[in-house]
Amino acid sequence: MLNSIWVSLIMIGILVAVGNDISDEARNTYRNGVPLEATIEVYRTPSALRATWEGDLLIPADAFASFYGMATAGGEVRQPVSVSTGPGGESLVAIPVGESTPARWKEMARSAADNGRLTATIAWIRFSPEKTTASVGLLLEPIRFVKLKAITAAALDYALTAVNISLGLIGVMALWLGVMKVAEEAGLLRVLTRLLTPVTRRLFPDVPPDHPAMGAIIMNTAANMLGLSNAATPMGLKAMEELNKLNPKIGTATNAMVTFLAINTGGMILIPATAMAVRAAAGSANPGIIIGTSIVGAGCATLAGILASRLLQRLPRFRRAMEADHG
Amino acid sequence: MVELFRSIMTTISVAAVPLMFFVFLGWGFARKVKVYEVFVEGAKEGFTTAVRIIPYLVAMLAAIGIFRASGALDILTSFLAPVTSLVGMPPEALPMALMRPLSGSGSLGIMTELMKVHGPDSLIGVMASTMYGSSETTFYVLAVYFGSIGVKNTRHAVPVGLIADVAGMLAAVWIVNLLFR
Repeated sequence: MLNSIWVSLIMIGILVAVGNDISDEARNTYRNGVPLEATIEVYRTPSALRATWEGDLLIPADAFASFYGMATAGGEVRQPVSVSTGPGGESLVAIPVGESTPARWKEMARSAADNGRLTATIAWIRFSPEKTTASVGLLLEPIRFVKLKAITAAALDYALTAVNISLGLIGVMALWLGVMKVAEEAGLLRVLTRLLTPVTRRLFPDVPPDHPAMGAIIMNTAANMLGLSNAATPMGLKAMEELNKLNPKIGTATNAMVTFLAINTGGMILIPATAMAVRAAAGSANPGIIIGTSIVGAGCATLAGILASRLLQRLPRFRRAMEADHG
Repeated sequence: MVELFRSIMTTISVAAVPLMFFVFLGWGFARKVKVYEVFVEGAKEGFTTAVRIIPYLVAMLAAIGIFRASGALDILTSFLAPVTSLVGMPPEALPMALMRPLSGSGSLGIMTELMKVHGPDSLIGVMASTMYGSSETTFYVLAVYFGSIGVKNTRHAVPVGLIADVAGMLAAVWIVNLLFR
């Protein structure tokens, strides 16, 4: 199951990227080879002596939107540019991407030859008599294979993110595993486990009620509910390690592990702090309005997950996976 | 009522970690556990566990990254939107529901964007934030938890996680429509 989902994520991603790039090419979404009419407000008068001059590129909102065939027009484009003379005598325009750059150009700059900077050549230029403004025809560099470049970058970025996440876990993991070990040695986890035995025995019939795994499972669930995700992950991993000690077939998930994961992915939380923070930042009159609804949603998810794990574990194909080496 | 619950829960969340340190380590010391040695002994496992997760997380996140960057989500959304509107889910909220099990940062981005466009207290804003609070990033949890003990055959874990996600999203749509429509 995980194999097929994993490979389809990648295959669908690549096929869709190729499809999108072909359709962009066919429709010429990025208007490759079509000159764009614009005005440049010149900072300093260009002369034969100065090779490079600078100015503000101005394009009316409507003209920009209709050039790229966009449904809605953004604001007027006002973008600083610098014009220089290339080796072949042609005029090169560098368009550094900044805050004032329109979103479409930012997107294009990401797959430009010089990463993060768009360049263009000038097809024609006419200066006003005082040489303070110039109307130009801009030929932007051809932009192709935007999505293919994007998925390449994403694959590498995410691989790095994965390592960063894992390395970032080291400290928190060490801290909490240390504290948990002390609690275990002191017999505290056993007290906690005994209190909740009536619940845990039903949820995890395969795990002895006084097994150390139970203590870790309880701690993990409690930390999750309180929104202490830093503490929850180490405790959850500790629980997995303990459950693995009861695993007759290492490398294969046991019923108890799947049930535990179902409780975890249900995401039962009493205060959805992240969502509330985003709501508050967006100017909500009442960020806490989602506490109740989130508890209902997560409760249903957790319940459905537990039920599904109990039902699916009986399916022959999943039972066989557990027994294959033993029969 | 909600305010009271919220302030109680926030207080507990803030006090929980110091309280746990105090009780666990204090209890251990009182029970004559060699707290420092035992702590270090337990902490040793932190490094190996974290490093063991890396290959699993790289595999999972790289696949999700490719899927996200390709624009496949837009296509999936346009296919599924007519179906999901039948259960009362606005098409704008669908990318949120699809992204939630795949990527935490991705769904956070979609939620923020939806609130910027529609407002945090609009039906869509409330629904998106409820969806965010109604589930965990299933595939991340799967990769990390199973990765830490080297489980490769996950058996029914993926279907179970996805069933839980679908249930959570549908419940979020239902309760928000019921209370805020």
